Amino acid sequence: MAEVLRPQMMGARVSRLEDPRLLSGQARFLDDIQVPGMLEVAFVRSPHAAAKILSVDVEAARHLPGVYAVMTHQECPVMLWNKESYKVGQPALADGEVAFVGQPVVAVIAENRYIAEDAAELIRVEYQAITPVLDMRDAIQEKPRRVHEHAENVFFKKSRQTPGFDEAFAAASHHLTASFRTNRQTAVTMEPRGTAAMLDAASGRLTVYASTQSPHRMREDICNLLDIPEHLVRIIVPEVGGGFGMKAACYPEDVVVAQAALRYRKPVKWISDRLESLESDVHARDDIHDVEVAFDDDGKIIAIKDHLMADGGAYPAYPWSGAEGETGLAARVLTGPYDIPYLATDIDCTYSNKTPLGSYRGVWGPIASFIQEGLVDRVARHLNLDPADVRRRNMIRKEQFPYRNAARMIYDEGSYLESMEEALKLIGYEDFRKRQAVLRQQGRYVGVGISVFVEPTAMASSEAGEVGYESCTIRIEPSGRVTAAFGLGPSGQGHETTMAQLLADQLGVPLADIVVLHGDTDSAPYGGGTGGSRSGPIGGGAALVAGRQMRERLIKYAAHLLEAGEDDIELGDGKAWVAGVPDRSLTIRTIAQTAYMDVSKIPEGLPIGLEITGRYLPKRPVTFSNGTHIAEVEVDVHTGVVKVTRYAVANDCGRVINPTIVEGQIHGGVAQGIGAAVLEALRYDEDGQLVTTSLLDYLLPESTDVPRIDVHHIETPSEGEGGIKGMAEGSLIAAPAAVACAISDALAPFGGMVDTLPVTPDMVLKMVQDR
Amino acid sequence: MADERVEVVLQVNGREHRLEVSPRWTLSDVLRHQLGLIGTHVGCEQGVCGACTVLLDGEPVRSCLMFAVQAQGQHITTVEGITPENGLSPLQEAFRAHHALQCGYCTPGMLLTAQALLDRDPNPSEETIREALTGNLCRCTGYQFIVDAVLAARGQGRGA
Amino acid sequence: MKPAAFKYFRASTTEEALQHLEAHPGSKVLAGGQSLVPLMNFRLSRPEVLVDINGVDELNRLSVEGGEVRIGALVRHQQLAESVDVARAVPVLSTAAQHIGHWAIRNRGTIGGSVAHADPASELPAALVALNGSVVLRSAAGERRLPADEFFQGFFNTALQDGDLIVELRIPVSKSRFGFSEVVRRPGDFALVGAYIERAGSSGAVTWFGLSGRPERLPVDAWPQGESDRRALLERLVGALPVDESEDYKRAMAVNVAERAYHQAEGEK
Repeated sequence: MAEVLRPQMMGARVSRLEDPRLLSGQARFLDDIQVPGMLEVAFVRSPHAAAKILSVDVEAARHLPGVYAVMTHQECPVMLWNKESYKVGQPALADGEVAFVGQPVVAVIAENRYIAEDAAELIRVEYQAITPVLDMRDAIQEKPRRVHEHAENVFFKKSRQTPGFDEAFAAASHHLTASFRTNRQTAVTMEPRGTAAMLDAASGRLTVYASTQSPHRMREDICNLLDIPEHLVRIIVPEVGGGFGMKAACYPEDVVVAQAALRYRKPVKWISDRLESLESDVHARDDIHDVEVAFDDDGKIIAIKDHLMADGGAYPAYPWSGAEGETGLAARVLTGPYDIPYLATDIDCTYSNKTPLGSYRGVWGPIASFIQEGLVDRVARHLNLDPADVRRRNMIRKEQFPYRNAARMIYDEGSYLESMEEALKLIGYEDFRKRQAVLRQQGRYVGVGISVFVEPTAMASSEAGEVGYESCTIRIEPSGRVTAAFGLGPSGQGHETTMAQLLADQLGVPLADIVVLHGDTDSAPYGGGTGGSRSGPIGGGAALVAGRQMRERLIKYAAHLLEAGEDDIELGDGKAWVAGVPDRSLTIRTIAQTAYMDVSKIPEGLPIGLEITGRYLPKRPVTFSNGTHIAEVEVDVHTGVVKVTRYAVANDCGRVINPTIVEGQIHGGVAQGIGAAVLEALRYDEDGQLVTTSLLDYLLPESTDVPRIDVHHIETPSEGEGGIKGMAEGSLIAAPAAVACAISDALAPFGGMVDTLPVTPDMVLKMVQDR
Repeated sequence: MADERVEVVLQVNGREHRLEVSPRWTLSDVLRHQLGLIGTHVGCEQGVCGACTVLLDGEPVRSCLMFAVQAQGQHITTVEGITPENGLSPLQEAFRAHHALQCGYCTPGMLLTAQALLDRDPNPSEETIREALTGNLCRCTGYQFIVDAVLAARGQGRGA
Repeated sequence: MKPAAFKYFRASTTEEALQHLEAHPGSKVLAGGQSLVPLMNFRLSRPEVLVDINGVDELNRLSVEGGEVRIGALVRHQQLAESVDVARAVPVLSTAAQHIGHWAIRNRGTIGGSVAHADPASELPAALVALNGSVVLRSAAGERRLPADEFFQGFFNTALQDGDLIVELRIPVSKSRFGFSEVVRRPGDFALVGAYIERAGSSGAVTWFGLSGRPERLPVDAWPQGESDRRALLERLVGALPVDESEDYKRAMAVNVAERAYHQAEGEK
């Protein structure tokens, strides 16, 4: 069979199919779902970090004209509680106590949001404030108290050590210690969260519109929490204005909205405003690492010891805590791309009276890279070696793949050293060092930071859930046009284009003849959704598997109808033909007509119609992408302001489906990484009040904060379908470390090194003054 | 206080609309919910993110920081108003060609700011473009491809 | 984040606006709305009556006459930033206006609104103080003129009384040279700290903003020529200001931006 394809679409810079509707204002996001009689929800949220609820008086609100209903825990007695993993769950609406500022207490359902907010103001909740638990180190010691009386503060604890660690650590000739702190950040999708629910007039089932990354997981969560069988719930995901892991969880508000639609038999909608978003979207990156590193005279790192701590907030996000995700995986990939034989890690995740920690793009990665690269730079500075050289000495070499790291993770083949050398070339490293020396003479402080990253992708489990496979249903319609459905939940990644590219090559049809559906559990085959950089490799793998099966079927048809051998059939441009005899051809449309309308001509053994569902479960539990980011910064030592001036990336995510889309993902992750490094922090005051409640306080990078980013692609194929690896998180995994290292480099004359993110102007001034 | 209604006449994308609104309804809400112009997106209601940007007499403004009653007699342009009847405008085409959008939520506001810039300065430098776009936040693209798209759309006018 | 209900009146003359303000105690003036409406959306501000002055053309005048720049309360930041007359008469005011917010904010935000809001980290109130400007207020009782230094009283606090309407700002055209510099995390943000420097021959003044509750203008009898002496003087001056302990780091910044503004003033005119 002419199985060797000449892929034309895979690897092509195709403009996105989803763009026209988005560019013309026609795309339908969650708040654009509008049906007659729809009611809107506003939540009364806790103003206290910790308090007992003494009474709730909703009477005045209930009687306000335009108010339809008011719900408390009594009307929605649901707990978001993953009992298999945690001793604590969060009630959808507070039940007798509140544990963080912004926790939903009462839901008001009214004609519109304006009236709902009027009514929310009329609700009187009497609280008795309790001392909040706010400091991570204290909380781990159960101080000042337990967050939840019946559960220890530390809810996830794990220790792991490479055999022989103590001896190796003690025998090393040099040791350094450092404590690293990452402050709370959050995804801030430009479209806030939102949910709408209604009973479907045609079927009586519950339809939930959800701005989520994982339609089937959301269905499962809603069904489990509200005790409804799955076939009676339909999830529809409209256009999603950004997810970044934050929209992977099921939230209390989702449950309340669904419950309201069921209880009152009315269409109900809730759209988060930005205040709610900053208070109640899952937070991330609230971690402390106390680290010791042992190394020899040449800068070869021998052992790392790390006490990882994370503040998980008041409750585990449902169904799992981001604190566990951030520390658990960080502990396994802490050695990054370096061949460091010994590792000892102790993890403590604690509750506190803050917003729950969940997933945000990169989850563990931005933290672990910050530590791993920070350590390498400390070693380099201690030994007065070039940071690039120390990286070269420690890097896992090509011949070591598949490589088993000190935490027993298996890395498949990558291009670690190659990526660094490419990135060094892109940034002009040698020239930079000369320029840096000259500028220092002039009192200007520039620096470069190198961040070599590994990115575990396509994992058997991720924030998108425990579904390790993905599915694709291909239906070639009687017209010969293709409808393909996936269980993915894209939020800007361009799956409608990339999946169509993969299918176009397999089916030999033009891109314009393919429509990719996603996000509707009625049409999509069961799948894990989007998260953990899995959609490209696993979703794409499913497209390839299903596409290949359909291709085989098309070839059988063509061989039969053209009276030729299957090995001689070629597909392309919407046609099938006999190799070398282009005149002996027929269109895919003709095949489809036969399959549906002229069924007596169907080749023996084939079913009626052209519909196939293919599933793909990667053989490896994970495939590692890799690359190197190098940031150049200028630090204004008079104001403490850091400007990222140049940026280079060498990226290896295996076979690339669409380089332009990959570059877009990288640019976006770098921008978020710059935010993480110098701008973004959620701050609480001493009473546990969140003080960063607007986008004037929580600073996102603007167009002038992000430099041009030079991207070089390297392709080391995975062993999985299509050689594809995931790539959406690598850029945010690498970028904060690159910027942090660059700041340390710029400020080297003052002696200090960055150990806290984000680096704020006052911190820079302190580093300069502490000289 | 009860929600009184007042009449307002809005000129939106060249059409006149006579509406009953509550004075407290923001222009963004009225465009979206009363007129069905859902291309105007609401991202913060704090005047920071720029997703709700519309043109008021040709100049970009935040529609979340204006009450609809205030727009009486002024000309409002939304993303629907810069979209040709068929296809896309040169700027929109450039956005597509340069992959200047991912989730697309900030895109209408971005387009309107960029269009207003090109209307007043047909040949802006990269620096001018970046400065003009500082008031429009994008969380997906890192801005580079947006800037590239605006650079590419220079000198092409608004199209059909 | 939706505002509470209010009654809305649209004024087309100053008189009409004053009548509404007089008739409805506790009413608020709605001009550009770039500070007021976010507060209303948060329901941190909930006026029962809004008097919209956007249609009052007489408040929209910008002129340089009689040795003064006269800026109507309704003049938008962008108008100020783009005015050739202002750039010629008081260049530092043009420079500062370009640093206010973002384009869309400048298109809508008004001079009067900025002054009434009195954000201590805002460029314009500080400019008014630094440039010895004054605020012209009108109420049913008549018109009065307050020096900027008296008008700004503290954190978001001014001499504005119920029923007052800011009608105009007046800034004398001075022979002094001025410089401006500020520290922002991102372009368009409110300043962490900023400074205006005045050089009138060998004397002058420094005006800092973002440090305490209001812009602080401190006269300087004689500017030291050497940088280290000048820094020592600035350090002494900033040391006397009531800066919140948690923001002590701003003192070092303040000295540095003042030094930058000093050099800017050297280059001006």
